[in-house]
Amino acid sequence: MKEITNVTIVSTNLNRRLLENYKDYYVIENNFSYDELLQKKKVLFFNILNNLSDEKLHKLFEYLKDNNILFINITNDIELSLYTDYLMVYDDSKILIEGQTLEVLKNEKLLKRIGLNLPFMVELSFLLKDYDLINEIHLNKESLVDELWK
Amino acid sequence: MEIKDILKDVKIVGIVSNYQTNLKIEGKVKDLKIKNISSALKMVGLGVNSLEKSISDLSISELWKLELASKLDNDVIIIGDIYNSLIYKDREYMKKLFVKLSNDYQKKIVIIDNNINSFIGVVKKIFVIRDKKIVYETGNFFDQELYKYVKMPKIIDFIKYVNRDNNRLEKTTDIYELIKDIYRRVS
Repeated sequence: MKEITNVTIVSTNLNRRLLENYKDYYVIENNFSYDELLQKKKVLFFNILNNLSDEKLHKLFEYLKDNNILFINITNDIELSLYTDYLMVYDDSKILIEGQTLEVLKNEKLLKRIGLNLPFMVELSFLLKDYDLINEIHLNKESLVDELWK
Repeated sequence: MEIKDILKDVKIVGIVSNYQTNLKIEGKVKDLKIKNISSALKMVGLGVNSLEKSISDLSISELWKLELASKLDNDVIIIGDIYNSLIYKDREYMKKLFVKLSNDYQKKIVIIDNNINSFIGVVKKIFVIRDKKIVYETGNFFDQELYKYVKMPKIIDFIKYVNRDNNRLEKTTDIYELIKDIYRRVS
């Protein structure tokens, strides 16, 4: 994997074997503190961020980026991919597709074929595009609503 | 209030709380004492080839399904941590399975999760539990008070955001119903 600063890894089958590819990352599987993160240069969250509020997620990822901490978030919640620039999708333990997040998410059929959904805003954008109601794919509600009701 | 009281009026109920598995992780799947194990595995979406697998080798989602399979014989099935354990397709499958177990097999289903997406659109009643006490209950996914305790689903967040400007979108938890409604109002 190229040295990319922030990555989401979504897998159809979360398994600790995934961690073997990222042995130089400090793995976080339970509670953590911001001070703890600051002491590490590379951190990996293993399926623990799914239930954080958007506000807390935003704060966490901004903190990591501001402090130049490389991070990987392994999750089964593709919604969280919108917080990172790079997305890797594993089907079981094999990598299926990777790239800039939005470019990967455009592969809707491929993702759905392996049982994943799209982040809500992206899925809504695709559906509204199908009805010719919008022209762009939106990652947040504000810009989508602006285009719909401009 | 106990679970039997919670289930008095509803067949499927959602509880927002923490949950931990009780399944032993030693031995092989076939060694577990599960009634009609092959059909139970099939019902929860696990192939019969799982029988020969060691439980410790199972993924998080396979363990979750196995736990459900081990409980299918109970009248009241308490299951949790769906969101962190399963991918979208499996979660949607499980929602349909819960309805089937409830309607066709008269099972009472208690879904315990800390992510409301695990049972949105399926349950008629939601309880919020903190420190073993019910601190809030509602039957309405658009109840603002509920989201003092749990993360708001994106679809509800979107509808609330749109409706702040007097665009009266219908309250729905189904993205296809939402699309139809937007189409009616925009085109």
